[in-house]
Amino acid sequence: MNNKIKIVIFLFGLLLLAGAYIYMMFYDASHINVINTTTEISTDSRELTASFLNNEKQANLVYKDKVVEVVGIVKEITFLNNRNTIVLQGGNKNSGVLCDMQSDQFIKVQQLKKGQKVELKGICKGFLKDVVLLNCMLIN
Amino acid sequence: MNKIIVLLFLLTSVMSSDIKSDQIITRQGQVSFFSYTSVENIEAKNNQVLSIIDLSKNEIAISMLMNAFIFKKSLMHEHFNESYIESDLYPKATFQGEIIDFDPSAEGVQTKFVKGTLTIRNIAKEIEIKTDIDKIDGKYLITGDFEVVVKDFEIKIPPILRPNIAEVISIKFRFEYQPYEK
Repeated sequence: MNNKIKIVIFLFGLLLLAGAYIYMMFYDASHINVINTTTEISTDSRELTASFLNNEKQANLVYKDKVVEVVGIVKEITFLNNRNTIVLQGGNKNSGVLCDMQSDQFIKVQQLKKGQKVELKGICKGFLKDVVLLNCMLIN
Repeated sequence: MNKIIVLLFLLTSVMSSDIKSDQIITRQGQVSFFSYTSVENIEAKNNQVLSIIDLSKNEIAISMLMNAFIFKKSLMHEHFNESYIESDLYPKATFQGEIIDFDPSAEGVQTKFVKGTLTIRNIAKEIEIKTDIDKIDGKYLITGDFEVVVKDFEIKIPPILRPNIAEVISIKFRFEYQPYEK
């Protein structure tokens, strides 16, 4: 009887460990569900780009690693490197907002057109020539 | 006199259009790195790498945000940014170099060396990378891989995690360039 209980506990423990291992293996950090997180800052793509162009250090303090909601005009849609990316128009020709969309947004992204006004939110990572937003989702 | 002005105007417009087509850009270059050990394999990708090439000088510049690398596990992402790379202090990694003996006008694949300075965590190292440059219909695709020694960039790994992280990290890149119209 005692042995049986021991075996059951052992097997149960093993199952728990296996579960934890599988969770650790497959938990994908790139699938943070941004839609369930509260927006920390709302802005438009022109203002967002302008603040990084004016003072990158200051803009990083305001926007970096924050969930940012952005309204903007679609400048370009690309499917490079198997990613869905929406580029929003910035204040000038050379800089905009690069929005790397979550994989579940693929169908919605395909339906978008250049020049269309969209609202989306994602996590701001900083600025190169464009403001980079990851884990983006469209807001309807 | 008028003819000279027209000529000058034509000449400068031709020259400025040349300057335009001399630069190519990618805002969505891909850089991935791999660390293989017997304990675990770590892999991460950055899909928003910026690079500009000046075809008239064969100069190449690359810049990337270290916190934009995507990992399979969020814990890896956290360790990478907070402990190893310290991306709050050193947000970007850059490369500045020259493509040796590169002929931008040649169609097809050319295998060339890129020589330059890689800067990670404000530590600059001279490196040489073998790359394949493929020109199709006026667009350039540059691919390649190289290795980086973790110690070279003074990345401190706690003794307990040392078996999990390779001493030499393999890096792969893929850049698809477009003409850069300023």
